[in-house]
Amino acid sequence: MEEPVDAQAAILASAVALLQERTFEDISYLDVAEAAGVSERTIYRRFPTRSHLLEALARWIEAERFPLSEFRTPEEFRRAVRDRFRAYGTAPGYAFVAARGAALSPTTEASSAPITVAILAMLDEAAPNLNRRDKQRIAAAARYFSSPIFWARMRAGFDMNADETFEAFDRAILQVLATAPEASWAA
Amino acid sequence: MPEAGPLPELSSTQVSILGAYSELIDEVGTDDVSFRLIALRAGVGERTVFRYYPTRVELLMATSAWIERTIFTRQESESIFDVPIAIREAMEAYERRPELAHVVAETAMRGVNGSESAPQRDRFDAMLRHEVPSLAEHERLLIVAALCHLDSSTTWVTMRRELGMTGRDIADAAMWTAEALLDPIRDRIAR
Repeated sequence: MEEPVDAQAAILASAVALLQERTFEDISYLDVAEAAGVSERTIYRRFPTRSHLLEALARWIEAERFPLSEFRTPEEFRRAVRDRFRAYGTAPGYAFVAARGAALSPTTEASSAPITVAILAMLDEAAPNLNRRDKQRIAAAARYFSSPIFWARMRAGFDMNADETFEAFDRAILQVLATAPEASWAA
Repeated sequence: MPEAGPLPELSSTQVSILGAYSELIDEVGTDDVSFRLIALRAGVGERTVFRYYPTRVELLMATSAWIERTIFTRQESESIFDVPIAIREAMEAYERRPELAHVVAETAMRGVNGSESAPQRDRFDAMLRHEVPSLAEHERLLIVAALCHLDSSTTWVTMRRELGMTGRDIADAAMWTAEALLDPIRDRIAR
């Protein structure tokens, strides 16, 4: 028997609510089942392992709690990242789950996160004549320094708040962008 | 120079357990490995595994630390300007053992309950103090933080997963980014 399509959403929303009180390790499938009003079996069917659940939670949290502001230029990108880090700072428990989910061995053939797509589009538009190799290097660096993983490392390893984390991001990204000759950037 | 941190002494039984678990992770991932299977592979009783590692989390954290220390070892850089090369080599090592790279990446993202997320911090800081003493403390911190971020399995994981890059492209991009971070201080070394 098929359970309703929104069972998935109910499971994720319930799990996210439980994350407000405890860590992911301390949440059992039974807890989530009770909170979501579905059977434990339903959860196992959708999320065969805890990694599946964690990865889906991370995606859900990124989409629902930390929606990305649009950007088309490096200027707007930096502003969007600053807002993102500030949002992470107001909900650190969620942001750590987003970081952990992003570090997992992928459980599904999911497509890239929206921010990856937006960074690639931004570089195509802003630096149309830049060679493929340098474009890939800049995209990779921009993506990696704007990720919740960077926020989590700055917080856990360096005690940085959101604005300090943005400052560290900004220095790195300006340095990376400065490698491209002035003429590669569209006027 | 400060040490990377004291290494806890492990008994040969612990080494067998951690080695067995990392082999199994390499083969089937972290999720489907029971304590029974780990005990069997390590050649010890299941109760012995529980005695050393009462919970799965404790076993995973110990295994992750062991993987970092024995499989993803780095040649110590003598200069901060050698660090980009070490980062490239680290990416090549992650490429050879992707499942283990993911384990190490995820356990470093658990905040206070996780493994050290910037283990090279003190070492990079000491090298920069020594080699570029004119660097202001704040600027030094920003460079150390960015290099620590790059010298990590999460770099390999993110570039593979989000940009679909090959091992060769990841090694290149990580090293190139580290070089870019060092650009402003290349000619500021102490004479």
